[in-house]
Order: sequence, then C-alpha cells, then structure tokens
Amino acid sequence: MCRNFNCLDELYRTEFGAVYQCNLKNCYWLEFAGEWYSLNVSDFLFFKKEVDSIDIVSMLVDSSRHSDVVVLQSYRARRCFVLNAVEILQLKDLLSAARFMIELNSVIQECLSYSPSTSVK
Amino acid sequence: MKDLLRLKTSLKEEIENILNEQIKVEAHSSSIYLAMSSWCDDQGLDYSAQFFEKQAAEERVHMMKFFKYVNDRGGRAISPEIKNIPKDFESFRAVFEMALEQEMHVTQQINNIADKCMKSKDFVTFQFLQWFLEEQIEEEYVARRILEIFDVVGEEGTGRWEIDKHVQKVSYSGE
Ligand SMILES: [Fe+2]
Ligand SMILES: [Fe+2]
Repeated sequence: MCRNFNCLDELYRTEFGAVYQCNLKNCYWLEFAGEWYSLNVSDFLFFKKEVDSIDIVSMLVDSSRHSDVVVLQSYRARRCFVLNAVEILQLKDLLSAARFMIELNSVIQECLSYSPSTSVK
Repeated sequence: MKDLLRLKTSLKEEIENILNEQIKVEAHSSSIYLAMSSWCDDQGLDYSAQFFEKQAAEERVHMMKFFKYVNDRGGRAISPEIKNIPKDFESFRAVFEMALEQEMHVTQQINNIADKCMKSKDFVTFQFLQWFLEEQIEEEYVARRILEIFDVVGEEGTGRWEIDKHVQKVSYSGE
C-alpha cells in the first residue's frame, strides 16, 4: 500500500512514533522505530489489544533470556515487531493515545450530525 | 476527518468487549452442562443426563446468537477458550444447585450488559438482549422447580429414580 501524504491525517505523535489516518484507503499508518506499518481499522484495533495484553511486569521479573523481548506478528502489517519492555511501553502509549483520538473523532462526528440543520463535511 | 471507526463497526469498544465476555459465559455454561450430563449418565440418571445434554446444546445456541450479533454489527467475535470445567460433582442434588447458580449468574451478567447499553445509549444492543432476559425467566424457573422436587419427593429409597424421571416433565409455560 503506498503512502499518499496528501490524504494522511496525523492522529497522534509522540517522540517515539506516530499514527496517521489515510482517508483514501481507509486505513491507519503506524510509524514506529523508523518503520511504517499500514493496518486497516479492524487490524489496528486487534493489534492494539495484542499489545495491551503483553504482561510487562512478568517480562521484567522473568530473568531468562527469551523474556527480554516479545515478537509480535501482525499478518497484515507484513512485518513483525521485536520489542523490548521499554519499546512496548512506548508503543502502548502511542496506540492508546491514537485510539483515543479515533474515538474522539467518532464522538465529534456524532455530535455534529445530531442536529439535522447542521451539515457535516 | 472521516470517521473510519464507525464505517467499520457500529459497536462501541466497551460493548463489543462485554459481548465477547458473554460469548465466553455461554460457552462455559454449555461445557458445564455437558460435564453434568456425563456425570448423570455415569450415575444411571438417564433423564437428567438427557436434560443436561439438551441444556448444553441450548447454551451453544445462545453463544452463537451473541457471536453472530457481534460480527453482524461490524465487531470481531472471539472464539472462546473454555477452562476449569469440573468432571466430578458432589451429589445429584448438588448438580442441580450448581445449574441454578449458573443460570442466576448468567441473568446477572445479562442485566449488567443491559445496564451498560442503557448508559452508553446503545438501544440496538439493548433490544437484542430482551430475548435473553426473557429466556432467563424460564432457565431459572426450571432449575429452581427441579430443586423443589428434591424436597417434595425426597432422595431416600426410590426417590432419586423418581426425581430423575420427573426432571424431563418440568417446563415453563409463562402463563
Ligand atoms: Fe444461556
Ligand atoms: Fe441457560
């Protein structure tokens, strides 16, 4: 999927990455650790749930080597994520802030379309 | 900015999550009833074994109703993982007590979902729940009625055999 910057709306940006909405392809772009990943709405929500379900405390407590990183697969992102605990926290923050903006946009649209006399663009 | 979220789904995240929880509860009910059926069969309680087999099938139908609803509204239904199903039960009576407790738990869960739907003004899902709320009247009635038969008949002598035979006759007319 090509990135067309003309139709990207930035949903949220942190110092570690950003999430954009593509109004042309109806998908989201996640920019994280120098890579770009495109996810449709359903995959994005699912991916966020996956990230949220990672138990960071048990990662930190477990001293075995394989628990230092988590490998996350998203079939549609066509890349896999290898993340350490700090990166997971950064990603969790970014995704939940972006998720909030998505929800906020829905609420705003709903409010705007509530009155029949107000037209919404 | 386009509302991609609502183009995809009509379900709010919170509602989708509790509906997925309910899918789990119904699947869990189905498995518990199947375990009860097996136990009753093993004890020679034929009619009760059949009764619970039928209940297990019904709970699966309930599960699928929720499952399809979530997907039909644009959400993503999650196939439930079922754990902690007992294999052994204390007694004939204890099985039916557990069944009643399970049904009361389900009623409470559906009440909670209805409450959340009201609060988030999701009257479509609220309406969808009405069928389940009504169904719970019957589910609780039947389980409670059977427990009362234990008291009426008594388990001594041929009591257990009598009770087992009567289980299939308990039904709810709603009139
Ligand atoms: Fe049920
Ligand atoms: Fe039930």
